[in-house]
Amino acid sequence: MVSENSQFAIETVSLTKVFPDWWGRAKVVAVDNLDLQIKHNEVYGLLGPNGSGKTTTIKILLSLLHATKGSAYVLGGSSREAKISSRVGYLPEESYLYKYLTARETLDFYGRIFGLAAKTRKGRIETLLDMVGLAPMANRAVGTYSKGMARRIGLAQALINDPDVLVLDEPTSGMDPIGTRQMKDLILGLAERGKTILLCSHLLADVEDVCDRIGILYGGRMQMEGPVDSLLQKTDETQILASGLSSSALEKIKSIIAAEKADCSITSPMDKLEDFFIRTVSEAQRRKEPTSGAVNSGEISGFLKEEHAGSDDVLEKLVNASVDEVVSAEVEATTTEVAEVAKKANKSVLDELTQSTVADVESESPRPTVPLDDEGVSTSEIKEDVLNKLIGESRDE
Amino acid sequence: MSRVWAVAMNTIAQGLRMKLAVIVVLLLVILLPLMGVVMIGDGTLKGKLQTFVSYGLSLTSLLLCLLTIAVSTHTLTSDIKRRQIYLVITKPVRRFEIVCGKLLGVVLLITFLLGIFTLIIYSLTVSIPRIAKADAAQLEQVNEEFFTSRETLTDPVDEVRIKEQAIEEYRRLKENRQLPDGLSSKRVLFELEAKYRGIATNVQVGASRRWVFENIKGLDPDETIFIQYKFGVAVPRPDDKVYAVWDIGDDRQLKLDPSERKTDIMRAQKIDAIRVVQEFQVPAKVVAEDGYVSVVFHNPVQNQTTVIPQDVKVLYRSGTFTANFIRSVLLILARIIFLAALGVSISTWLSFPVAILICVVVFFAGTVNGFIVDSLDGLSMVAAIFYSVTIKPILWFLPQFDGEFSPAPYIIAGESIGWLFLVRIFAVTVLLKAALLTLFGIFIFHKKEIARITV
Repeated sequence: MVSENSQFAIETVSLTKVFPDWWGRAKVVAVDNLDLQIKHNEVYGLLGPNGSGKTTTIKILLSLLHATKGSAYVLGGSSREAKISSRVGYLPEESYLYKYLTARETLDFYGRIFGLAAKTRKGRIETLLDMVGLAPMANRAVGTYSKGMARRIGLAQALINDPDVLVLDEPTSGMDPIGTRQMKDLILGLAERGKTILLCSHLLADVEDVCDRIGILYGGRMQMEGPVDSLLQKTDETQILASGLSSSALEKIKSIIAAEKADCSITSPMDKLEDFFIRTVSEAQRRKEPTSGAVNSGEISGFLKEEHAGSDDVLEKLVNASVDEVVSAEVEATTTEVAEVAKKANKSVLDELTQSTVADVESESPRPTVPLDDEGVSTSEIKEDVLNKLIGESRDE
Repeated sequence: MSRVWAVAMNTIAQGLRMKLAVIVVLLLVILLPLMGVVMIGDGTLKGKLQTFVSYGLSLTSLLLCLLTIAVSTHTLTSDIKRRQIYLVITKPVRRFEIVCGKLLGVVLLITFLLGIFTLIIYSLTVSIPRIAKADAAQLEQVNEEFFTSRETLTDPVDEVRIKEQAIEEYRRLKENRQLPDGLSSKRVLFELEAKYRGIATNVQVGASRRWVFENIKGLDPDETIFIQYKFGVAVPRPDDKVYAVWDIGDDRQLKLDPSERKTDIMRAQKIDAIRVVQEFQVPAKVVAEDGYVSVVFHNPVQNQTTVIPQDVKVLYRSGTFTANFIRSVLLILARIIFLAALGVSISTWLSFPVAILICVVVFFAGTVNGFIVDSLDGLSMVAAIFYSVTIKPILWFLPQFDGEFSPAPYIIAGESIGWLFLVRIFAVTVLLKAALLTLFGIFIFHKKEIARITV
């Protein structure tokens, strides 16, 4: 396969990786028949809980692991070929740098490994050091760096060859919020310059902000895949966003919308990626799909139980109620709130929206957001608050 | 190549940060000058020089070999264990380039250290005579016998002839049914060989023995050759001395009329202590034009006992001490390259503790290789077959650091390490054994699953 002609920048064909035990018996299926197709100039986010096979997939793509079955192509070939690996940049999940080298020496070493000419190398090193903000301490040994600083050097070495394909494993782990912001901006900037980026992370907010497409792995299988927008969009529901509503305004809106729908923005409500992610994973868990990663059983370890059973009410509750249930109950509660509002709104009955819905929501909500028995608060204010609250809950957080 | 070089430079930086490297360097920096001052030897200047050079070279060789083992087994295993290899191997570097770079780095590092420390030994050695303020006689002795490089010639006993004689007599005894009872045929043959070897080497009172040396080249007539030997006796005299009469020269001329002889035949008469290496000088003009010289020992009647001259050698100056010293350092370098190749090679598939253990075992097996081979050669028939198909190939692959492969004895005796010998060692140890090991390592590393996880 000639790389230029290949349709996908990264492609796996029924990729399977089984880790054997010491005797060679198959023990853990880390990746199971994975078909991954990442187009050129796409930012693809590979998501999944711990142990879902993200890093294993990346390692196979980079030829650090051999596939048990199936094949993995980067730029149409194996990343073991020098002409392909010279166009790939890789940032591993941790900084695997030589502690005794300074930042500049580190970049120089990797530049030499890439076979860059001295002039190009020197120029790029200075630019990269500036870019990641380490130029002032470039002559300090990497071993003295904090995790975030080491991460920046890791990023710099991944970019030193001006790669076409960038593989980032947990790019923002260990970075401060500013670093995270810069990393995201950088990813977007690189995507603008035509790079293909495969990133895997469980910091969902990062993925949501930068990725064109995401895939959620669980148990080594692709559970869900698609463009971020369409995955998070609920096409059968409509949400009306409004702000600064007074009771009279609401009345007006009711009539205006009924007449011409002028002042209302009607959009599809967005899930937080977080909710979506948790739902996908817990569905997979409910189907009892096998995984080599952590599965939250909801059970608390035996020794904890013995020690505290019966001694403390709160603890007992914790012990008995599965953590999973708590989480999913909360998730469902939030989604029902939104869904209820949305469904009713979809009927475009402002009466219901302003009166009964609020009451409904109030009575159904497990977490009373409005002090109901406060008689000094007018109904319209309550409605307003509730709306804002609901909208806020679904948009921000 | 630039990638190999980058890996090599990184390996050197890595090796220099090992605590063991610091310890070795400090030990040598302190011990070598100290040894130069403290070591006395047998009290003579030559003895002091011999002791210092012998211990200095041996210590440097030992410590640097151990350092080589440590660095070579550490560098790759540490990269894999700390996963630093992930960032290297995912780049356009071929895996053989990594293995070669690691090997090159270790070899360069240790060669650099070897160069420094042998330079220290050399400087101390050549300045010891000045510091010691020895008298003129001692200075002349060390100049003749130590600060020199002498070619050594031997004329060993014809073992093939001895075996033939032994077998012949064995057949005769068998035909005449005179074989002793209760002894295995092997044992009888062994005894017979000892008997004929005795006949060949022992010199009865009034008898003589002749050695022939050939190809003595490149000597000026005003130079000297050295006759070196050691005496054993059947019955020692009370003073442990031996009277010796030596004739040295071209004895092919004896048939000729004395007026037609081209070179002299010289006679030396000496009284020597037994069991100690003796040496005397003869003008080089006794050597025939074609490089032929014969040495004849006569056992005079005063001795009243059989004398056994051993290790009779002719030595002659063939080069400078400096050149010979460099060759001895190269001898050490050969073993270092072998050990580095071994270390890097097995660390492609073994963890650090296992790899270093194997290397240390191989190293010490190498230092007693001659002994192991000798002791295993005397095995019974069945064991010998088993041995020759199993252990012998392994032993062949083991490096040889003892016997003729050890540099110190050459320097002590002022004996030349032949260039051809050195080339042969490099060909076998470096070009064959070390290269095979490296190829094996490259093969394994090429197939290796770097991020392999076994559960």
